[in-house]
Amino acid sequence: EEKPCASYPFVEDSFSRFPSQSNIYGLCQAGEQELLAATLKGKVVCFRYQELQQKIRPVAKEVQFTYIPVDAEIVSIDAFIKSPPKRGLVVGITFIKDSGDKATPFLNIYCDYEPGSEFNLESIAQSCLNLELQFTPFQLYHTEVQCAEGGSETVFLLSGHDQRIHLYKENASLHQFEEQPVERLFPELQQLPSNVLWMDILSIAGGRRLSVFGCQNGCVGLAVVSQTELEVLQSWRVQFDSPISTVLLFPLSFQTECTSRLSVSFSFPGVEMESYNLLVTSTIEMAVVYRDVQKHGLSQSTCLLESDQWDAVVCALVIDLDFDGQKEVLLGTYGQELLCYKFQPMGSGQNGQFQLQWRRSFKSPLLSLIYLDLTADGLQELAVLTLKGLHILQHSLTSTADLVLERLTQRVSALMASSEVESARAQHTEDNEAPAQKLECTLQTPLD
Amino acid sequence: MRSLNYVHRVSLDFTGTLFPHAICLGDADNDSLNELVVGDTNGKLLVYKNDDSKPWITRSCVGMLTCVGVGDVCNKGKNFVVAVGAEGWFHLFDLTAAAASKADSSSQHEFQSPDDQKPFFTQHIPANTKVILISDIDGDGRCELVVGYTDRVVRAFRWEEPSDSSDAGPGQLILLKKWLLEGQVDSLTVNPGPEGLPELMVSQPGCGYAILLCSWTQQDSSDSGDDAPATEGPSRDVVLHLTTGRIHNKNVSTHLIGSISKGSKEESSTCGLFALCTLDGTLKLMDSSEQLLWSVQVDHQLFALQKLDVTGDGREEVVACAWDGQTYIIDHNRTVVRFQFDENVNAFCAGQYTCKEGKNGPCLVYVSFNHKIYIYWKVELERMESTNLLRVLEEKPGFKSHLKMLGVGKYVGSSVIKLLIFTRSGYRRNSSLYIRM
Repeated sequence: EEKPCASYPFVEDSFSRFPSQSNIYGLCQAGEQELLAATLKGKVVCFRYQELQQKIRPVAKEVQFTYIPVDAEIVSIDAFIKSPPKRGLVVGITFIKDSGDKATPFLNIYCDYEPGSEFNLESIAQSCLNLELQFTPFQLYHTEVQCAEGGSETVFLLSGHDQRIHLYKENASLHQFEEQPVERLFPELQQLPSNVLWMDILSIAGGRRLSVFGCQNGCVGLAVVSQTELEVLQSWRVQFDSPISTVLLFPLSFQTECTSRLSVSFSFPGVEMESYNLLVTSTIEMAVVYRDVQKHGLSQSTCLLESDQWDAVVCALVIDLDFDGQKEVLLGTYGQELLCYKFQPMGSGQNGQFQLQWRRSFKSPLLSLIYLDLTADGLQELAVLTLKGLHILQHSLTSTADLVLERLTQRVSALMASSEVESARAQHTEDNEAPAQKLECTLQTPLD
Repeated sequence: MRSLNYVHRVSLDFTGTLFPHAICLGDADNDSLNELVVGDTNGKLLVYKNDDSKPWITRSCVGMLTCVGVGDVCNKGKNFVVAVGAEGWFHLFDLTAAAASKADSSSQHEFQSPDDQKPFFTQHIPANTKVILISDIDGDGRCELVVGYTDRVVRAFRWEEPSDSSDAGPGQLILLKKWLLEGQVDSLTVNPGPEGLPELMVSQPGCGYAILLCSWTQQDSSDSGDDAPATEGPSRDVVLHLTTGRIHNKNVSTHLIGSISKGSKEESSTCGLFALCTLDGTLKLMDSSEQLLWSVQVDHQLFALQKLDVTGDGREEVVACAWDGQTYIIDHNRTVVRFQFDENVNAFCAGQYTCKEGKNGPCLVYVSFNHKIYIYWKVELERMESTNLLRVLEEKPGFKSHLKMLGVGKYVGSSVIKLLIFTRSGYRRNSSLYIRM
């Protein structure tokens, strides 16, 4: 039944079994090299790699977040690092306290203002703001907004079963998060057609952002918004036949790194203009990619063939897995499969297609995917949350090391070639470049 | 402790019940690819090949099969399948011929003559068998058959062919020696002793083991008396060793495996490596000079012990399995990788098997209680310990020197790696990334 997946690039490095199951909102990145996974029965596990005696080893440890009662069931978790100049990690957890007679939903926001403790998870977990909710919470999401007084700030967005998205923003004077009217900052997120199950927001060039939401009734809404004017410039809607499980905006071009909304670590300034695409997964139908949504809206769609063959697609990720500069689409299904699609350009004029490259079976349904550098080596790992626990898939280090050496050798030979050409010129000009600049220069040297 | 999940598995149909030693991996048909041999309590011998869920060959034996083995027991340069029943019936099967005939008549393989189904040879040996070993135990380069019994007896046999070729029978098992032990024998193994000669070892309760001396090798010169092989004096030829450490339950069931490959690196020492495990969760790796390499305590009931090279470096890891499916893979440096098989385990073995890829590869085999045998066939690991790309690269020749040529000498950070991975030649020429070093 297993399809041979020759190009499956990962090696499982660790698996952490959880005491109870999680859900599609149950995994988030917390800081640069840590993951937080929430399980239904009120437990939050922090996963990271610890360096001990010259060795690194995976550690999954429970973090005792305060004010989560024993009978609570966690719905969603999210975390972000505050936009500079502010410092600190903020963790949000929504849960439902069911004491028998009446279920009460809450949003807890954890954030330590004590200097020196802003990134200490143990101490953050102890300082809690407890907000009672009037609706059943769904996805807890964060995004960066431009402030009126200049600068930017990261805020929480929480979708609920009241057909609304709620905004939680830090009140600077009170040092505390509070709910604010969502339309003030997100005019595109008001008057929603149904409960939003998933949303995604991406800042793009020209002070604009793309906002997309997918609803329980199958509706997908997309808008281009001017971030400075807070004005919806254009918006589109499309109707699917089943609830939308994920919407994901991603650039597609021969870029190496995107300025992702999550990427706090690294972004390349001065990238070329690229087309933005929207991936929509629904619980019954095939996954669809809308191409160049800025130009075409939701009119140019491409189906990801066979993606409906393994039960509902419940999570998705778009990353460059094979380091060729071209991003691949990863889909995680409830039918225990991880699918990888690669974009195949068809030449000018034509649209190109996404083709299934490989698939890999898991032992339980997939729930969430995150790609991050857990091992602090510049190479990211794929974290896969399944119903039973957390898998960490690492790129095969043997083959990636070979790739790095190969590219390094190319650089060196390019340097040799160019230094011969320029040796005559170099004799005349002074060469007092710093080593770092030299590498930078070398790395940028185009090769043929 | 690192734990991970294996997912590539095939499930085989197996409706019977079996004894824990009635399963093994080996090249049953001499095609250099390994098969899985299983014997059930109704006397049925099943041989599975590749990823086929149905047995490739089934044979009927007399009695309850307690142990099966594959090896050159007749010293003819080819493997036979051995199946021994509790009642003492020893069966020898030559499946090489069966493989040939099966290949010839693949379309009508149901019409094999009943003669083909019969064992090549049967013999009655003392009853109450529990475990067998086919190996050279006395260092003469020829295989012996060693049988462990539930009544704490171990017997060694040798296959002998009639000297007169006109004699009708193909040969028979001749008893070499009988040893009587103090405790139950759960495993038999051979391990190179301090002088490099094979030593026959048996496990003894309480994390102990005994070395059984093959006295016939010395007796050749001194007394070649009449009933020398069947001597009843037990203790002289049994050297009992109790391992030190934590106070053990002295009755706890213990397993043993020897001749654990050390790989090419440490060829200097002739001492063989062997491992012990107990039902109360002690695991030990020792060498034949009685030096303890490591000891691990786990809170699972370990009932099976195997060896398997999962990293492909020539060094075999110790693999121990618990009744609840928890499996420990431990290397010589005491690095542990755990795998949880999600069902209770009836029997377990590990070794080389040809599943889907047409060649032998390391496999873990679990017999469940639900009429299935699961073979995990992609169990290779790149390494036992977690590591990262920087550490791997730093061990590579050329990495540092190449970076030096690019002007980076002192410190290599993740940003450099990131840049090298993601910047392919020919694009990103306008990037103005700044690297700090």
